[in-house]
Amino acid sequence: MSARDALARYADLAVVAFGLALVPLFAGDSPYYLRIATLALVYMAWTVAFNLIFGHTKQLFLCLGALAGSAAYVSVVLAKELQLSPWVTIPIGAGAATLLGALFSYVSVLRGLGVIFLGIVTLAFSLIFHNAVLGLRQLTNGETGLVTRGLGFALLEQPKPGYYVFLVLLMLSLVAYCVLMSSRTGMAFRALSDDELTAELAGIDVTWHKVLAAAVGSGILGLVGAFYAFYNGIVSPSVFSFVGVDIPVLIALLLGGMRTRLGPVLGAAAFALIEELVRPFGQLNVLVYGILLIVLFTAFREGLVAMLRKVFRGSGPRRDRA
Amino acid sequence: MIAILFDGIVQGLQLSLLAVGITLIYGLGGVLNLAHGQFAVFGGVCAALLLAQGVHAVPASLGGIAAAGALGVVVDRTLLLPAYRYRGEERLLLGLILTLGLSFVIDGTLNYRFPHFSLTLHVPLQSVTIAGIPMRTAGLATSLIAILVFAALFAFLRWTLLGKAIRSIIENEVGAELCGIDPARTRTFIVGLAAMMAGLAGVAQGLFSSLGTEMGPEFTILGLLVAVVGGVRSVNGTLAAGVLLGIVNAFASHYIGAYIAFIILLSAAMATILVRPQGLLAHGT
Amino acid sequence: MLLRIEAIHARYDQTPVLRDVSIEARRGEAVAVIGPNGAGKTTLLRTIIGMLRPSQGRVLYDGRHLDGLRPFEVARLGVVYVPAEKELFPGMSVLENLELGAYREAGATRRRLSYVFGLFPRLEERRRQLAGTLSGGEQQMLAIGRALMAGPKVLLLDEPSTGLAPKAVADLYRRLSRLKTEGLTILLTEQQVPLALSLTDRAYVLEQGSIRMSGASGDLLGDPAIKKAYLGVS
Repeated sequence: MSARDALARYADLAVVAFGLALVPLFAGDSPYYLRIATLALVYMAWTVAFNLIFGHTKQLFLCLGALAGSAAYVSVVLAKELQLSPWVTIPIGAGAATLLGALFSYVSVLRGLGVIFLGIVTLAFSLIFHNAVLGLRQLTNGETGLVTRGLGFALLEQPKPGYYVFLVLLMLSLVAYCVLMSSRTGMAFRALSDDELTAELAGIDVTWHKVLAAAVGSGILGLVGAFYAFYNGIVSPSVFSFVGVDIPVLIALLLGGMRTRLGPVLGAAAFALIEELVRPFGQLNVLVYGILLIVLFTAFREGLVAMLRKVFRGSGPRRDRA
Repeated sequence: MIAILFDGIVQGLQLSLLAVGITLIYGLGGVLNLAHGQFAVFGGVCAALLLAQGVHAVPASLGGIAAAGALGVVVDRTLLLPAYRYRGEERLLLGLILTLGLSFVIDGTLNYRFPHFSLTLHVPLQSVTIAGIPMRTAGLATSLIAILVFAALFAFLRWTLLGKAIRSIIENEVGAELCGIDPARTRTFIVGLAAMMAGLAGVAQGLFSSLGTEMGPEFTILGLLVAVVGGVRSVNGTLAAGVLLGIVNAFASHYIGAYIAFIILLSAAMATILVRPQGLLAHGT
Repeated sequence: MLLRIEAIHARYDQTPVLRDVSIEARRGEAVAVIGPNGAGKTTLLRTIIGMLRPSQGRVLYDGRHLDGLRPFEVARLGVVYVPAEKELFPGMSVLENLELGAYREAGATRRRLSYVFGLFPRLEERRRQLAGTLSGGEQQMLAIGRALMAGPKVLLLDEPSTGLAPKAVADLYRRLSRLKTEGLTILLTEQQVPLALSLTDRAYVLEQGSIRMSGASGDLLGDPAIKKAYLGVS
C-alpha cells in the first residue's frame, strides 16, 4: 500500500485522533470532566469491539461487561496475589477474555445456536461472572471490590496521562478494526452478515470468521477493561455490570451506526453526553436507556453516521467507507 | 430438610408461573419477553396501590393481576407491533431489544416513583401443621393457587377449542392461519393471560415474603432460566422444570450458598441450550 | 361462486414470478394449472390465499376482493388452501387437526367429521394418532380432510399427488371427483399432467410466470404441443 493510499484510508482516523487529543486542553483543570472524557474513550473502544462482534457478524454477546470484567479481575488479582507487574497481568487478563469470547463464538457456531440462544447463553455467563465474583469473596473481596492503586501502574493514576493511554488504546482498536475490514476478511464479514448460508456456499469459512471477530472483539474488551480497572482505582462487580457496560455499549453502537467506522466513536460520545444530562435525575437514567433502546431500534436504525453522511452529501468527493 | 423441600416447591411453583408466561409468549408470538418480571412487579404494585386505598386484600390482589394483564395486552398491541412485522430471527431480535427497553422503562418509572416500596400481604394464620410438618400458610396458599392455575391452564389448552387453537399456533403458525385462526388476536389474548400469571406471581411474592420494585430483573432472569430448561416451546416441561429448579435452588442455597446455587441454575440453563435446546424435559408440546 | 384472478403480477423481493396471469374457475368446476417446476404455480395459489400480495392485479371471489386480505380472512370466506407442505400440526392428534379445520364454524364440526371420516376411513382408524407419525399418504389425506372440515366453497390444492403411490393418487382423485359433483370448486396445480387433465374440466398452462395456453382439459390432452412437452410423446 502506497503512502498516499494509507493516508487516504486513515485520514478520518487521524482527524479523530487529533480532535480527541485536544480534549484535555478544553477540560482543563477539571478532573471531573477529564474523567468523563476518559470514560467516554473506554466506551468508544468497547463499542468498536461490539461493532465487530455484533454489528458485523451478528453474534449477540450479552456479556460485554463480564468479558471486560473477567480480564480486569484476572489482571488485578494476579497482580495482587502474585506481586506481578500489571504489564504482565494485563495481557494475561486480555488473553483470558479473548479465549472466552472465542470459545462462546466457536461453541455457538458448532451447535448452530441462533441469535436468541447465544444471547441467553452469554447473558447467563454475565450473571455467572457477577455471582462468581460475589461468591469468591476471599479472592475478590465481593461487592466492595479490590483497590488497584499502587500496584505498579503509576501512569494511569494521573488524570492526563490516563486519558492519553486510553486514547492510544482506542486508536489501536480502530486501526485493528480498519485493518480487518479493509482486507478480504472485511468482505467475508459483509457477506456473512448478509446471509450466512450463501456465504458458506460461496466458500467463506463462516466459523473461522465469526470466531475471529469474537476473539478480536473480546480481546479489545478485555484489554481496555483491564486497563480501566487500574485507572479506576477500584475494581468491583458494579463497574462491569450488565447495565453498566452492555446496555450503554448497545445504545452507543445503535446511536452511532452499526457497521460504520466512526459510529462507535460518535455513538459513545453522544451517549456520554446523554448520561451527563440525565445524571441529576438519579434513577430515571434507566428509564432513558429504555426509551433510547426502543426508539433506536424502531425509528432511528441507521444511526448518527448515516445521518451525518446525508447532511454532508453535497460537499465534495467521498471515499467509500468500510 | 422437609422445610427446605417445601420452600423449594413453593418457590418453584412461582417460577413456573413466570416461566409458563414466557414460554407461551415465545411459542405464540416468537418474542422472548425480557420485561416479564416487570409485569409481575407491576401487578404487585397495583395491588399495593389498591390496598392503600382501603380495598380488601383479595379484590386488591385480583385488581393487581388484572392490571398486569391489561399492561400485557397494551404492550402487545403497541410496542411489539414493529416486531410482529418481521418473522423468525429478525422478529426475535427486535422483540428482545424492545422488551429489554420496556423493562428499563418500567423499572426506571417504578423505582423512581416508589423508591421505598414493599408489598407485604398478611395472612391471618402464620403457619399450620399438616401431617406433623409445620408449614407457612402463605407458602401453602400460594402453592395451591399456583397448582389450581396450572390445572386450569392445562385443561384449557387440552380440551377447549381456543386452547387447541393456541397449541396449533405453537405447532405451526402457517397451518393455523390456513384454518382460519387469527394469530394476532390469539396472541394478544395469550400475552394478556401470561401477564396475568406474572401478576399473580408478583402478588404471591408479596404474600410469601415481600415484593420490592427492584425485583423485576430477578424475576425475568429466573423465569427465563426455567423456561429454557423446561423448553421454550413446552408448557408441560416448564412446570416440571420450575419445581425441579426451585428444589435444587432451595437445597443448594442452604447447603452451599446463594451465589453458588444461582451459578448452578445458570449453568443448568447454559447446558440445556448447548446439549438439548428443546428443553431437558420437553417431549413435544 | 366465481373465483377470478385478473392480470396478477407477483414477485419475491425484486424477482418477478407471475406476469399478467388471469384465470377463472366457476362453481362446481375443477380447474388445473399445469406447468414445469418453477413456473409459478405455487406462487399463484399463495397469492390467491393471501400469503403473498400481488404487485398488480386483483383476486376476486364472488365479486369480493381477496387481494390484500390476510390468509385467515380468506380462509374464513370459504377459500381453503392445502399447500404442498401440508402444514399439519404434528404434535396433535388426527382428530384435533380435523377439529381445528372447522375452527371458524365449530358448530358444524360433528357433521363434517363424519363426512370426512366417510371419505377417508383410514383417518377415522387413526384418529388418536399424532399427525407427525402418519405416513405421507395419510398426511395428505389429513391435510385435505382438514381443509374440508372448513366447509369450503373453493378448494386450492398444490400438487396433491406428490409423494403418493399411484394407487393412492388414483384413490385421491376419485374422491376429489366426488366432491366436485357436490358443488365444490377445485383449483389445483399438478406436475402429473395426464391425471390433472383427466380429472378437471379446464386447464391453464403456466410457464415462466405467464399463461401460455388454456382450454378444456380434454382438448389440451390431445394437443400436440402439450403432448410433446408434458407427456413425453414426440
